[in-house]
Amino acid sequence: MAEDESRISIAKTFRVKPKLRPTSNKATPTPESKFWKSFKIPKDIEFTPSKSVIYPITSIAFSPIAPHDFAATHSANISIFSGKTLEPKSTIASAFADSATSAAFRCDGKLLAAGDLTGTVHVFDAKSRTHLRRLKCHSAAARLVRYPRADDKFHLFSGGDDSVVKYWDVTTETCLFNLLGHKDYVRCGDASPVSDDMFASGSYDHKVRIWDVRVSNSGSVMELNHEKPVESVLYLPSGGLIATAGGNFVKIWDVIGGGKLLYSMESHNKTVTSLCIGKIGKESGEEAQQYRILSVSLDGYMKVFDYAKFKITHSMRFPNPLLSVGFSPDCSTRVIGTTNGTFYVGRRKTKLESDGPGDVVGLGDVEVDPERRVIRPTYFRYFHRGQNTKPSEGDYLITRPRKLKFAVHDKLLKKFRHKEALVAALSGKNTENVVAVMEELVARKKLLKCVSNLDEEELGLLLGFLQKYSTMPRYAGFLMRFTEKVVEMRADDIKSSDQLRGNIRNLKRDVEEEIRIQQSMQEIQGIISPMLRIAARR
Amino acid sequence: MITGGKSFVSSPPAFSNDAKRMLVCTGNTLSIFSTSTGLQISELEGHGAPVTSVIVVPASTPASKVLCHCWTASLDGKIRFWDFMAPELIRTIDIGFPIHSMVIPSLLSQPTERKGKSLDLFAYIYIEAERQKEGQPNSSSGQIRKCNLTKSRLAGGVSLAETHKPGCITISPSGEYIGICETRRLRIWEIPTKDSDNAIYKKIRLHHTKTFTTLAFHPTERVVAAGDVTGRILLWRGVGHRTFSTSDKFISGGFSKDAEERPGVRGNDDADSCTTWHWHSAEVNVLFFSSDGAYLFSGGREGVFVVWQLDTGKKKFLPRIGSPLLYFTNSSDPSLSSISCANNRIHLLRMPSMEILRSISGIKLPSSVSDIYEESGSGVVFDHTAGLVAIPTDNYSVQFYSLFNDREISEVQICERNHQPGDEVMVKVNLVALSRDGSTMGTVETRLPEEKIGGLVSLKFWACGSQNKDFSLSTVIYEPHRGASVSSIAFHPTCNMAITSSYGGDFKIWVRMHDTHLKDQMLQSSGWRCHAVGSYKKRPMTAAAFSADGSVLAVAAENVVTLWDPDQNILVAVIGDTLEPISTLSFVGKSTFLVSASRGSNPQLTVWSMSKLSISWSYKLHVEDITCSLDGSTFAVLALLPETSECVESTEATLQGVDGAILLFNVENPFPLATWFASKAQGGRLSFLQTSPKLEDEVADVKPAHGLLAYMNRNYEYVLFNSYGEQGHNQSVTRQQNSSNLEEKEKIGYASIYGELAELSEEKNQTRIPYIQYEKNWETIFSGPSHKLAPLTKLCLDFLDSSLERRAVTVE
Repeated sequence: MAEDESRISIAKTFRVKPKLRPTSNKATPTPESKFWKSFKIPKDIEFTPSKSVIYPITSIAFSPIAPHDFAATHSANISIFSGKTLEPKSTIASAFADSATSAAFRCDGKLLAAGDLTGTVHVFDAKSRTHLRRLKCHSAAARLVRYPRADDKFHLFSGGDDSVVKYWDVTTETCLFNLLGHKDYVRCGDASPVSDDMFASGSYDHKVRIWDVRVSNSGSVMELNHEKPVESVLYLPSGGLIATAGGNFVKIWDVIGGGKLLYSMESHNKTVTSLCIGKIGKESGEEAQQYRILSVSLDGYMKVFDYAKFKITHSMRFPNPLLSVGFSPDCSTRVIGTTNGTFYVGRRKTKLESDGPGDVVGLGDVEVDPERRVIRPTYFRYFHRGQNTKPSEGDYLITRPRKLKFAVHDKLLKKFRHKEALVAALSGKNTENVVAVMEELVARKKLLKCVSNLDEEELGLLLGFLQKYSTMPRYAGFLMRFTEKVVEMRADDIKSSDQLRGNIRNLKRDVEEEIRIQQSMQEIQGIISPMLRIAARR
Repeated sequence: MITGGKSFVSSPPAFSNDAKRMLVCTGNTLSIFSTSTGLQISELEGHGAPVTSVIVVPASTPASKVLCHCWTASLDGKIRFWDFMAPELIRTIDIGFPIHSMVIPSLLSQPTERKGKSLDLFAYIYIEAERQKEGQPNSSSGQIRKCNLTKSRLAGGVSLAETHKPGCITISPSGEYIGICETRRLRIWEIPTKDSDNAIYKKIRLHHTKTFTTLAFHPTERVVAAGDVTGRILLWRGVGHRTFSTSDKFISGGFSKDAEERPGVRGNDDADSCTTWHWHSAEVNVLFFSSDGAYLFSGGREGVFVVWQLDTGKKKFLPRIGSPLLYFTNSSDPSLSSISCANNRIHLLRMPSMEILRSISGIKLPSSVSDIYEESGSGVVFDHTAGLVAIPTDNYSVQFYSLFNDREISEVQICERNHQPGDEVMVKVNLVALSRDGSTMGTVETRLPEEKIGGLVSLKFWACGSQNKDFSLSTVIYEPHRGASVSSIAFHPTCNMAITSSYGGDFKIWVRMHDTHLKDQMLQSSGWRCHAVGSYKKRPMTAAAFSADGSVLAVAAENVVTLWDPDQNILVAVIGDTLEPISTLSFVGKSTFLVSASRGSNPQLTVWSMSKLSISWSYKLHVEDITCSLDGSTFAVLALLPETSECVESTEATLQGVDGAILLFNVENPFPLATWFASKAQGGRLSFLQTSPKLEDEVADVKPAHGLLAYMNRNYEYVLFNSYGEQGHNQSVTRQQNSSNLEEKEKIGYASIYGELAELSEEKNQTRIPYIQYEKNWETIFSGPSHKLAPLTKLCLDFLDSSLERRAVTVE
């Protein structure tokens, strides 16, 4: 019966609605992409281009120790940024004779090492910036400097354009081993997260070699063929998998399983320049505390790759070619460096930060509420009792039918005051609504009548709108013809008014601009269509 | 044979004396609806042509309220007297002329007059008679005649008026006056209180400059209201002072009044004053005075019901009824009235508050305006399995109507737009298609452009929610074929695939996408995407059909049929050449034949053999619709009879406006298996229906392969018959029992507080008999306020008494 009742209602009234926009396949973002989008440029810190550097940012390294300061190399400098405020803390400039490369923090975060293009590897105190050691042995640019990641504080390894990987004792500034095997520039490498003695290096000879300093004299332990000059090598947190980047693709290798290729992710369009490990730092949810590979490329995309499911879970575009990427171990900061020296710093708001000093202040004894008084019929509240009662679990809720809100133009349309409705919509801000009202007027066959009834001021409003939107592709089909008709109908009024003539001049300019665009589009189409024809024939 | 889809609003309905039933003229029958449920209770069958008037004999005394008698008049020239509760026919009077309207004044006048000697009962009928004078034998005219119902004959030679066209007679609530509208005149007669065969009538005329549409009499005073085509309501006061009040003439000095003292009265009309109210923007169809005479109800084409306060002219509105109003009827219960709307709905109103209690709705009638923009058929489609029909309506929705139950199932709003009945049709739902299982619907709506601005075609796909056919919008595609309009939609028989063909020269295959890879997410979006686009020599694509297994897609490109592989979108073959563009395509069941129809000056019905890729056989027939049985190799076509002289020979066809024929063919054989004649075939639809599982029990002898054939004519009246039975007379299919027990008992007194009393088991024997006189004893014992109730001992006695009585009845 209830269903019957609802059907009986007299003709419903509807609002004027704009046309629907096409929705993308992923109408609602997945929780994961929400997480990656939540890295926003903090408002209090400005990384305007003026503040950033002008040279390519070749590497970014995060300190493993809280507050996770990070260092970035660009030209002959290393800039160290505070992990807390993201402000540049200090710059090491004087030590380098040439461009600095490959910054790396020691596992306790106290020392910072970097190479330069002369072949020297420099070691600094991360806090005082004191230049502690110079390791000079490479005969060409040192492009790879890494500390072992686990526990070893005395050694580091480096690789250079002389295609040699060197293992150093830092304290004595001596090179312990020269690891030979690569046949081209060594440009990248990574230390194993589980063992102090193992590390990998990648070279432009398309090979990734894995070294074990315990068996150093027998060459590399394993050799992986990436098939493109290797730009970046990354040990994944388990220590059993290695990701390598080079060319347009990223490959995942199983090191324990004898160097088997597991997957090749080919979704970048240009050379992948850098990889780093990202972690979803959420407390709850399906993906919480899972690791991802962040890859950046010269095509301006940063992609997030889930190497458990072999699936790209998020992708983000930046306006510049990207060179380096870093992700703080506490999952709060993501830094990307570009070829023109711009940093894209994203910081995620964490709850720990927000509730800092709030609850520190104690108020002593908080007064307990006076006992709930029994409501008697003498109180006014007696007659209102029960109105604020919350429904319990199993209650069936009868909601009040929601009242449809009508905009001004809807109300006017309901009263058949067509011209006023059009003017009301035009003076509103929402373009879609204006077009929707116009379409509704067409459906009532009243649009042209409305136009002929507009006075000068309202006509100016209409022409202003048409000038702005008639060349927008979404509305052009409708508005172009309408504009034509309006100009045709109200030609006399337009001639007589200066302001309207100004409107028409603007309109004319926009139309000419649009025609120019259309012409160049047609040219492009002319170029493309034979190619498509040929492609279809194959 | 099941018929249905009749118009409920062809003539004014009537309430029974207890206001619990409503008598509605539905075609040749009179249907009785319950006002408490809005469902049909029974039907009075007997007339051979549409019933035009129904008059319930009013109850003069409370005792006679039980009597449920009514008079009906019909176009077949018969007046019948019924007991509509029994229901049985009591008397029939043959007049011989088609009756368009009938009133019986003496039923309404005071019964005291009739006391003593029983006077004859006279009816005034508006008949369609042939005009002899003009010399043109076929020109018909309207005549108001008097009929002596007691003696069953026309009163000798009395003809009150002759008009060009028969219309409707209006009678005053007291039965004193009758009146008609005749173009720009109102003609009013006074009925003598002692009516006899040759009474003398006093008559007056009232004039106006516009054509009248309706008139109404005030219940007590001499006030007449009339509406005209421009929406004005004219109100004459003191009508007929000079003519009618002869007994006390010269007392009021009415004759001496000058023209200036009679404001608004035209010429020499007999009225004191005339006022005009103009609120309605279009013609006024409904005028009615409230029973106390204080209010005037009016309604018209714009679908707003207006209540005027008679003295002040103040208005109250019931807006947005959504359809032109046609009739207003009041009942003996002052709180219950009804308005009939042009969209085949009767709304029951609770009166002072003007709130719609319930609606009795039939198939929404096609609007006459929409025929102008007809492109391909009327858009009516059948749901073969559920026995439903989907009809696009004026208010941008699709109505689902059950053919077996003859009642509305649901209505789906296709385009969210306010419908204004008076407006020109600028937005229209052109095409509707249902997938074979009925779970998906595709619709195409067209917005017509205003001076080439803003035309829009949008294609929508709908998904069915549950059993009740409540479709929800799945996908909207604006301009599916750029600017071109869509000629047809067809669904793949098994998978989620659809095709739209357009006059713009291409067709598109749409598939439903499921985001299966997101199965772990909560997201389960599904929408229809374009899968492929095809065209053949840029020719307009006029029709499309899938084969029974869905492996072949046939698309008609004007004169040829192109066959495609729908999955790969590869052109497989091109067959044939017809003289005119093909308008309909259909695969015949699971056989290898394709049947096509083309209209125009060289209409053609062609059967193509898919195995030979050639014409099998063809006819020169103007085919309106084709339907194919789903698994057999038969198909039926609805063909219009040619208007040439050769068919005049068959006397059958010339009878009663028969203009079409339904032919049943087997594909192998060009000789029709069966033929039926049909009327109003232009714009009609035809479809095979699968026998619904409920019917299967009753019709066990019907082979499952032979479905029912449903034919729906231009006015959406339909008939279901067994295509293999004898010439339309097949008793094996009966309508599902939907009468008798549907009436909802009103709970009063005891039952309203404590619920129904447990029924005694013996009563079950009685429920078998329909329409048993309803025993009120149970409820009335305990009704009334508690302080007025009889003492318990007496109540108890009564209560037991009544149950004892019942038992005695059943024992007999």
